[in-house]
Amino acid sequence: MKEQQLVSVTIDGIEISVPKGTMILEAAKQAGVLIPHYCYHPGLPIAGVCRMCLVEIEGAPKLQIGCATRVADGQKVLVNESEEAKRARQGVLEFLLIHHPLDCPICDQAGECELQDYVFQEGQSRTRYSPHFAKRFNPVEDFGGDILYVPNRCILCTRCVRFMDHVADDGILNVSERGDRAYIGMHPDRELDHPWSGNVVDLCPVGSLISKEFLHKARAWELDKTPSVCTGCSQGCNVNLETRGNQVVRIKPRPNLDVNRYFMCDHGRLTYRAMSRGDRLEAPLVADRGELGAVDWDQALSRAAAAIQGAEGRAVALVSPGCSNEALYLVRRLLSSFEMVGAFSVQRVEGEVPLAGVPGLALREERAPNAAGARALGFDTTYDTAVAAVNGAALVVLLDDALEGRELDMLAGARTVIYVGTTLPDAARTAHIVLPVATAAEEEGTFVNRDGRVQRYFQAKSGPAMARPAWWVLSELLHELEMGDPLTAAEEAFEQLAADEPAFTGLSYATIGLRGARARKGQAAGAER
Amino acid sequence: MRHEAPAYEPVFIGNRRVDLDRVLERYPSKMAGLLPALWIVQNVRGWISEEAMAEVADVLDLSPAYVKGVVTFYTMYHQHPVGEYFIQVCTTTPCSLCGAEDVVAALLRHTGCGELGATSPDGKYTVVEVECLGACGFATPLLINDDFIEDVTPERVPEILKGYQ
Amino acid sequence: MGYPHRPHSRETVVLSEHFGNPEARSYDGWVGMGGYQALEKAVGMDPQTVIDEVKASGLRGRGGAGFPAGVKWDFMPKEKSRPHYLCCNADESEPGTFKDREIMRWTPHGLIEGCAIAAHAIRAETVYIYIRGEFTEAIAIMERALAEAYDRGALGERVLGSGVGIDMYVHRGAGAYICGEETALMNSIEGKRGNPRIRPPFPAAVGVFGMPTTINNVETLASVPHILNRGAKWYKELCLSSPKSSGTKLMSVCGHIAKPGNYEITMGFPMKDLIYDLCGGMRPERTLKAVIPGGSSVPVLNREEAESCVLDYEGCVQQGTMLGSGGMIVFDDSADMVYQMMRIARFYAHESCAQCTQCREGTGWTVRILQRILAGEGTATDLDLLLDIGEQMTGKTICVLSDSCAAPVGSAIHKFRGEFEAYINGARQPVAVAV
Repeated sequence: MKEQQLVSVTIDGIEISVPKGTMILEAAKQAGVLIPHYCYHPGLPIAGVCRMCLVEIEGAPKLQIGCATRVADGQKVLVNESEEAKRARQGVLEFLLIHHPLDCPICDQAGECELQDYVFQEGQSRTRYSPHFAKRFNPVEDFGGDILYVPNRCILCTRCVRFMDHVADDGILNVSERGDRAYIGMHPDRELDHPWSGNVVDLCPVGSLISKEFLHKARAWELDKTPSVCTGCSQGCNVNLETRGNQVVRIKPRPNLDVNRYFMCDHGRLTYRAMSRGDRLEAPLVADRGELGAVDWDQALSRAAAAIQGAEGRAVALVSPGCSNEALYLVRRLLSSFEMVGAFSVQRVEGEVPLAGVPGLALREERAPNAAGARALGFDTTYDTAVAAVNGAALVVLLDDALEGRELDMLAGARTVIYVGTTLPDAARTAHIVLPVATAAEEEGTFVNRDGRVQRYFQAKSGPAMARPAWWVLSELLHELEMGDPLTAAEEAFEQLAADEPAFTGLSYATIGLRGARARKGQAAGAER
Repeated sequence: MRHEAPAYEPVFIGNRRVDLDRVLERYPSKMAGLLPALWIVQNVRGWISEEAMAEVADVLDLSPAYVKGVVTFYTMYHQHPVGEYFIQVCTTTPCSLCGAEDVVAALLRHTGCGELGATSPDGKYTVVEVECLGACGFATPLLINDDFIEDVTPERVPEILKGYQ
Repeated sequence: MGYPHRPHSRETVVLSEHFGNPEARSYDGWVGMGGYQALEKAVGMDPQTVIDEVKASGLRGRGGAGFPAGVKWDFMPKEKSRPHYLCCNADESEPGTFKDREIMRWTPHGLIEGCAIAAHAIRAETVYIYIRGEFTEAIAIMERALAEAYDRGALGERVLGSGVGIDMYVHRGAGAYICGEETALMNSIEGKRGNPRIRPPFPAAVGVFGMPTTINNVETLASVPHILNRGAKWYKELCLSSPKSSGTKLMSVCGHIAKPGNYEITMGFPMKDLIYDLCGGMRPERTLKAVIPGGSSVPVLNREEAESCVLDYEGCVQQGTMLGSGGMIVFDDSADMVYQMMRIARFYAHESCAQCTQCREGTGWTVRILQRILAGEGTATDLDLLLDIGEQMTGKTICVLSDSCAAPVGSAIHKFRGEFEAYINGARQPVAVAV
């Protein structure tokens, strides 16, 4: 690799070395100094229009914008230590507020609003704009898709326009008119219906572009954020699940330059709905005289262990590509004494939906987060063959397989059927034992995305009633069968997995961290075959 | 009864398309043909409708929203139909010093427009104030369609309007 | 005063020599007046020699900034690896300025010749003459002259039979003052909103269509053939005061003046003489109150300052203002400075492109405060507020439109504070202002 030339700069007295060509704003971040800004966003081309990031550079005749000024060796930059720069920022804030309504109490952005934040941080507690002057007023507009535009709150940073023009490569938005009459506009021919357009809501630093889906649902400060991985497709976009109480109310992208940069698609955003479905399994069930009835975990596990112990011959495992590597691995271990037929079915929607400006980022055809993990762990997609093998099987284990479109009697030919899942599909009502498990929002685990990147997700909320993480259920079952010690954390399951499975060799929760990691070179886990 | 908007008739067909293509040869990018293309539309139609913006976008491989953003930036492009004679009066400082406001008042009275930006009931005139026509030494200048008229005083207004009936 | 008019004996007619003479508009007419000799000479010269000649003449940008033209040309890459462009800035929209219009109306071939020489010097094969959309007559005349120049071989693949190829086109603006800012002008040519660009990169590196570009004002380019014909030394010596300002300057004089019009003076000419002698002084019974010397964007001069101001770049700076584009707006004692400042601010509020916060919001705010003062509803703190807003609008934005609004308003408050206070304290009758 070519050696990168470094330059030294001092920012508010903190000396750092950064690669030549770095913009002052980014260099300052590395020095731990946040230069307030609105139009700048690392995922967008530079506009340099909000003028909020003005900083003092020793020796320069006037203030310069941090977002578009490259560092120079030996430069001294003053951000918070410059009275002049502070005054300029106060000036920008005052200008921005002359037309901005003070409707924070009813604004969805309140609490995560960059205007609110910076005004609170360093603005003035008064305005000199006469209350007798009319504020600019334009009615709220439905931009189509999931998006509302509240022009009165708009500070014309143009992040949304630049995203649509340069990242989505679909010029649906524009800046219309000029001067203080300007607003974000569209042409009536087209709605803001691009499959990635939800990103403009995240990009908007104020409450001007807001999500209808989230409208008035929660205040930002009530939300807990949990790092996770999107379950919408095999891309594996890094996300935060945002919960209020015990409910996921929205999903936001979590920056990861190697996977999704700062973005996620609208399909992925909507997966939060499934995290609150009302038909969840809440207790273990066992069949007595053909009727499923609720039991406690001890009874359910011992019944299941007994059924497995008594079986011999062929076992079929039908698994969901939405389950964690940990659960998939433990299912395989559970069936290791059988002649196992393991398969999964994955929903495929023809045609990828790329985000034009970010190579390697698309809503993928495979609409499940862990098909690659399932492949790496020995499950394949000869699903119909596996279904055929159910007939006459000694044991069938279903791991949250929705049995989409299957006949109600599809399981009739199997001696013992154990269903381990989040909900109970109609075709699985004939199962003998039903064990309720957590969704990805309710447990910790890992997925492998289509590029073989192993990524962790964390528990954002608790599961309903007696539902438990699948890794816990399966490890208890293994323990019951004297095939292993009970596990107390998903991490232990992963350690075993990494020790046993070549595709995961060398990985641990620590090495995966929040950014994900590829398995040892040449061993990319589950790369599509 | 259903009201159907009359079908949009494209501007860039036949000779006009040829004219545009000739203009496009002057520039290394198609986008650069936007301002000239919009002028052609306005010359032909008198104003630039949203359908016309969509047509221009299509012809130049741009998005309609992009074209609209550009149209709304430049004040000479009409986003609405205007009178047969579109009268722009300069009222910026130098002309204001020389009494441009009185010229505006005279124009509004004699054209029957009543107010700035409105079109007279007979559809003949629209009067607008414009920022600096670049003829400050010949205050007050008018631009009536493409005709530049200098040294206009309120007294001259009726006589000038006779030429635009 | 319109044309034809006889030049005053104290004018130095170079650019304006043929103003008012329709003969000068045709190719043959222009050649008969010595036209196209400079171009013929230039295409036989090495481009660098042309640049050096213009550098030596001391010619500075006549559009407002006063940057040395030859130095600007010298910024262009010497190795020709990509297309180069020349843009002629004929977007003359600065209130008070109307000189470029006359150059195009009367001596279109002079401009074409200047453009072609500059294009050769900077190795540009394409020239766009960006003319503001309102200049219908100038556009028609330039278009006709260009067609003629092509027909006669002064433009095209072999300029005047040489090996130099130059194409030249008119690009019509559509109503936006800001397109006179050079980077906004390039965006406008590219078919974009006329938003100024952040610099760096500078146009000589990344200009129109991403290629090396030079942008020069009409008057600057029209001066070039004269420099080549008569020599840099001659031009350099056209100078009555500071040696840093040379040549002639077309001063557009308008407002409260007996004989408004364009007057061509040698750099360093006293403003007092221009006003009282060349322009015939004030209207009867009136006395001079103030002058904005460089188009509406620069600080106002009061009578004493104006009468001692020397008309060149340095002389204006010495009085705390700028020569700018040379558009002099004269105010006599009947002028209402408060109303006129509101009018100026309204111009900038109307023309702000909407990019930078300070400009977008500050120009409109300034207008509203001035209107409130005019309406008799101003408060004691309003003037300080205006000055403070003005300070926030100065030196903080991409281009200087915002500064251009703050400069005249701020200087008027300093120099004519009494007029503002009269409205605030009720000594003066309120003025109804259409908002």
